[in-house]
Amino acid sequence: MCKFKKFLLKFCGIFIGLNALLFVVFFFDLDGKLLFKVVEPFLKNHYDNMERKDPLKNPYDIDKFPKYD
Amino acid sequence: MAKNIKKALRDFWYGKPHTAEEGGRRLGELYEDKTGLLKHREWRGVKDTFYYMYMIWGYNYLHMVMDIVKFSNNPLDFVKGIWRYRWIGQTYLTVMHWFDRGLTGMSGIATEASAWHYRAMVSASIKQMCTFFNADTRLHGGKKNNAYYHTIYSNETVWGGMFYPWKDAGYQYVSMEMIPYFVTCHINSHVVLNYIDAVQSIGLPGDPCPMCQAEAGIFVLDDVPDSSPFTITCNEACDASISTSILQDWFFDKPLFSLPMPMQFDDPLVKKYCMKEIEQCWKFIEEQTGTLFSWDSMVKYLDRQNRLQRDEWEKWDVAAKTDYYPINGVAQALFRIYSTQYGIQDSFWQDASEKVKKIMYKCVEKKINPFPQTRHRVIAWSCAALYYSNWCTWAYNCWGLNVIINMDSLMFDMEVRTDSYENMLEDVATYHMWAPMRRMAVGGMHHIFELWDYMQRFNCDMVAMYDQLQCKGMQGVHGLFEDEFRKRDIKAFWMPHALPDCRTVPRAEIRRLINDYMTTVMHEEPLDPSLLDFDDSMTW
Repeated sequence: MCKFKKFLLKFCGIFIGLNALLFVVFFFDLDGKLLFKVVEPFLKNHYDNMERKDPLKNPYDIDKFPKYD
Repeated sequence: MAKNIKKALRDFWYGKPHTAEEGGRRLGELYEDKTGLLKHREWRGVKDTFYYMYMIWGYNYLHMVMDIVKFSNNPLDFVKGIWRYRWIGQTYLTVMHWFDRGLTGMSGIATEASAWHYRAMVSASIKQMCTFFNADTRLHGGKKNNAYYHTIYSNETVWGGMFYPWKDAGYQYVSMEMIPYFVTCHINSHVVLNYIDAVQSIGLPGDPCPMCQAEAGIFVLDDVPDSSPFTITCNEACDASISTSILQDWFFDKPLFSLPMPMQFDDPLVKKYCMKEIEQCWKFIEEQTGTLFSWDSMVKYLDRQNRLQRDEWEKWDVAAKTDYYPINGVAQALFRIYSTQYGIQDSFWQDASEKVKKIMYKCVEKKINPFPQTRHRVIAWSCAALYYSNWCTWAYNCWGLNVIINMDSLMFDMEVRTDSYENMLEDVATYHMWAPMRRMAVGGMHHIFELWDYMQRFNCDMVAMYDQLQCKGMQGVHGLFEDEFRKRDIKAFWMPHALPDCRTVPRAEIRRLINDYMTTVMHEEPLDPSLLDFDDSMTW
C-alpha cells in the first residue's frame, strides 16, 4: 500500500510537472519563438545554399507532341 | 479595492471582456513588434484557455505526427522531404501559429468549431505531402517505385474529382502547387517570395498575377517533387497561367495534358467542347496509367462529395438566417475552397463537417451566439489575400465585422448528378468551368454581380471587396462595382492586395484602409483600440 502510495505520488508529481512545463511552453509561445528565431533561419540558410538543378538547361522542345487520338 | 479583486477574479475565470468600455482584453498588446510572435498566448478564461491548450494546440501537434504515420509509407521520407523542400520545411512546423492567427480572440464554441475546420485542412495537407514523398524519386535514390506509377499530378485548379475514376484502383491524386504554393502562403507568407523572385530572375516580367509567377517559380527553383510519370495542367482562371503551363511543360519535361477552362462558360456550345476535352483528359490518363475509367469509383466518391455539399447547404442555411453559426470567416473560407478543390481523398472533410454540424445545432438549440459583438454581417467578394486570410479575425476583434460568407465558398454551389454518364459528364464540366477565380471573378459580368443575390440570401449589410492589384480581369471591373455600390447604396470597403505577395500591400496597410473606412464613413469606434495599429511586417 505504501509502495502504491509512493508510486501514485510520483506519478501525480510527474504528471503535474509535465503539464506545468507544457503550459509554460504553450502560454509564452515558446514553440513559436523557437521556430521563428532558431529553426527557420537555420532551415532558410540550408535551402538558400542548396545545390539545385538549373531547369533552363532542359532542352526547349515543347513542340514535340505525342500522338493522341 | 474589493471591486478590483472581484473583476480580476472574473477576468481570470471567464477571460477579459471584448470591448474597451468593459475594460477589454487589448489583444494588440499581445504581439511582439514586427515579428507578430506572441509575448504570451491569450488568456481566454480557465475553461477556454485549457481547451485551447489541450484540444487545439496539443491535439493538433500530436495529430500532425499521427497523420504522417497514417498517410506515409515510410515516415523517414517525410523528414527527408522537410530537408529537401523549402515549402514544407518552413511551413509544416509553423502550423500552430497559423491556428493562433485565425482563432485569436475567439472563445467557447467559436474556437471549438473553427478549429475543426483547421484540423481537416492540416490533415488534407499532410495527406498531400505524404503522397508527394511516398513516390518522390529524389527521396528514393532516383528509383521509380510503385507509388510513383500510382500518383497522378495536376495543376491545383483542376478539381480533384476529375481523378475519382482511378481512386479505387489505388491511384493517388496530388496537385503540383496546392501545397508548395497555395497552402504555404497562408501558413508562412515568406516562402512564396522565393518563387516569385525566382521566376523574375530568369527574365519574366513582374506584372502578371503573382500566383502564376509563383507556380512557375517552384519549377525554376527545382522544388517540385518528382512523384508522377505525367501531369494534367490548365490555364487556371487567366491567361497568365497559360504561360505557367508552358514553363511547366518545359521544366517538367514529361507527358502533359493541358485541360483548358473556358472563359465564356455560359455558352452551351463551349460546354459541349469542354465535355469533350474532359473525356480526352480521361483517355490520356487511361493511356498513361494503363487503367480504365471506373464508373463505380466515380459514383462512389461523387456521392460522398454530394453529401458534403448538402452538409454545407445546411450550414449556410443557419449562417444566413440566424446568429448561431459557429465558424469564423477565415475557417469558413479556407475549409470550403480547399475541400471543394482537393475533393474527397480521405474522410477528413466529412469528419470535420459532422463535428461542426453537431456544434452548430447545439448553438441553435441553446440559442448561443458565438459572435456576440457582431456589428455588421459582411460578405467578402472576389479573390482574397492569401497572406492575410485571417484579416476576418482581426476585423471581428477590432470592429465587430463578422464575415458570414465569401465568394470562394460559393463557387461550387452544386451537386454532381450520378444517375447517368451523360448527366455526370455535363455536371463535371460545369464544376470544372466554375473554377476558382473564374466563376464569379474573371468569368463575366453576369457572374461577378451574383454578389447582390448572395448578399441578400445571407442577410449581409456590408461588402468587403478584395482588390487583387495584379489581376487584369478584376481590375477591369473595379469601376463597375463602384458604380453599383453607389447606385444600390451598399456599404462596401476595398481591400487591395497582391494575392500571395505580402510586399506589395502589407497587412498593416490593409488594416489602415479598413480603419479609415470604419471611422470616416461609418463613424464607428473600435471595439478593441489596441488592434488599430501594430507592426507585424515580418510575421509568418
